[in-house]
Amino acid sequence: MTTLELRNVNKHFGGLHVSRNISMGIEQGELTAIIGPNGAGKTTLFNQITGYIAPDNGNIFFDGLDITGKDPEILVKMGIVRAFQVASLFIDETVYDNLYLAALAYHGKNGNFFTNRRVYKDVAEHCHFILEKLGLSGKEKLKAFELSHGDQKVLDIAIALTMKPKLLLLDEPTAGMSPDERVKMTHMIRNIHEEFKLTTVFVEHDMDMVFGIADIIRVLVHGELIAEGNAEEIQKNPAVIDAYLGHEVL
Amino acid sequence: MKTKLTEMAPWLAYFVIFVSMIFAGSDHSIHVASQIIILGLFAIAFNVLFGTTGLLSFGQAIFYGLGAYITGMMAKSFGADFFLWALLIAPVAALALSAVLGVLSLRLSEVYFTMLTLAFAQLAWGICVKWSSFTGGDDGIQAIPKPDILNMGGRNYYIFALVIVSICIYLLWRLDRSPFGSVLKGIRQNPIRISFIGLNVFRHKLFAYMISSSFTAIAGGLYAGIDKSIHPDMLVWTMSGSIILMTILGGMRSFFGPLIGVAVFILLEDVIGRSTEYWSFVIGIIMITVVLLFPKGIVGVSRHFAGLFAKKGGQFDNP
Repeated sequence: MTTLELRNVNKHFGGLHVSRNISMGIEQGELTAIIGPNGAGKTTLFNQITGYIAPDNGNIFFDGLDITGKDPEILVKMGIVRAFQVASLFIDETVYDNLYLAALAYHGKNGNFFTNRRVYKDVAEHCHFILEKLGLSGKEKLKAFELSHGDQKVLDIAIALTMKPKLLLLDEPTAGMSPDERVKMTHMIRNIHEEFKLTTVFVEHDMDMVFGIADIIRVLVHGELIAEGNAEEIQKNPAVIDAYLGHEVL
Repeated sequence: MKTKLTEMAPWLAYFVIFVSMIFAGSDHSIHVASQIIILGLFAIAFNVLFGTTGLLSFGQAIFYGLGAYITGMMAKSFGADFFLWALLIAPVAALALSAVLGVLSLRLSEVYFTMLTLAFAQLAWGICVKWSSFTGGDDGIQAIPKPDILNMGGRNYYIFALVIVSICIYLLWRLDRSPFGSVLKGIRQNPIRISFIGLNVFRHKLFAYMISSSFTAIAGGLYAGIDKSIHPDMLVWTMSGSIILMTILGGMRSFFGPLIGVAVFILLEDVIGRSTEYWSFVIGIIMITVVLLFPKGIVGVSRHFAGLFAKKGGQFDNP
């Protein structure tokens, strides 16, 4: 079953054609990597899928429903949730409160203006579950700004997971991380993908990670989808080698 | 979930100070205390927007004035009994007005929002001054009647105002630690993330604006009863500006900070004003000192020094 389908999606920024007639179908349970050189339009594609910007034309379908141009908050409720290239956190709050706010939103408590926010046992349990799953237990009382860069990225993903996504989009999950952290993050993504039965799409420049865990790899160059396939197919694809991988990789 | 002592301590101090004023205060100090609690409510309500949500409205005086004029004009036209009704109508009117102004201004970002709120408030002030047949113009409204029981000296009215202000502050305090309050703090820190946890930023901002404005109108209505007179200066931009200053002076990251700022400001004005005509100069220097040296305000400074003596570990707002 196709979870996410793009049909002829186009986006211009002024004279720049950042998404060129992109069509793709992402199957349920698939772990997809989107790769491509800087400026290929990967983040712009994410922004269109998650409703942050609308495509100029073309359509996006989620579980068969046309979601083109819908706002992020509606898409999040439908199950399309993202993490950001630069961790997007509530920086003055503790790790726990970052998740707690997300969980309050998930459980629909956000409009309640008279109850003490701490009373909700289900919300608290939800947070502890996520803390544990992502290895953030023990750090819950730290403020978000006190975390290492790597932990901030993990917290960003934790906030996304708190929303119980069906489709999870990760924008460069290992950007700026140390080699150790990259390995941990790679394992973590594979684990949460399987454990939460997600459909996952991630943008990444770390080819070890891409070829290591992705089921399907899709290559964007200058806003155009030039190839899709499994690791072996992509590594052998001459267009991809020319445009992005370079010959020395092989 | 049990409420912690540190959360209750400010309330205890609040009641000890303001209730003792009833018994200890001279007429003058009761008058000063009345001003403090009423402007304190204004400042705390303003801080729901400013310190909590990160929205700097430079025009909250419009709702303060609205509350005052509704109360003043109703009591003046329909008699003393309507004073109490007016105090109920004022916040409802503010709710309606703020819904309209909020829809128009909250879509704009940061400085444009601030400028537009200022423009609306100045417009209202202009109407108030020019339309003298309706509003009393420059002179405002004098001899506003209120029910007899509130009339015997300043003390009865102070008690009445203290009850209403305390209820309002309590409601705003509940809001501050509610889920809705958490969302507002989230909007201040990262509005984009708020929409990506499935919440509508605009709608939450609008509710915050409406709630803040209606409590501001209650403060304005109460003010109409202190001296039985109101004037267009309540709507002018320096009124909004003073509230911003007092909030910063007290500490915008603390719930009671704005009230402390108002109290310190009014007491300074009272004390220094008695000894020199250049009191505004002295207050100006104090303001500059606080903002430059202690950007977190009086509460921020005292938390800092308390932290030096207390053992490490957040005494505020642990999960």
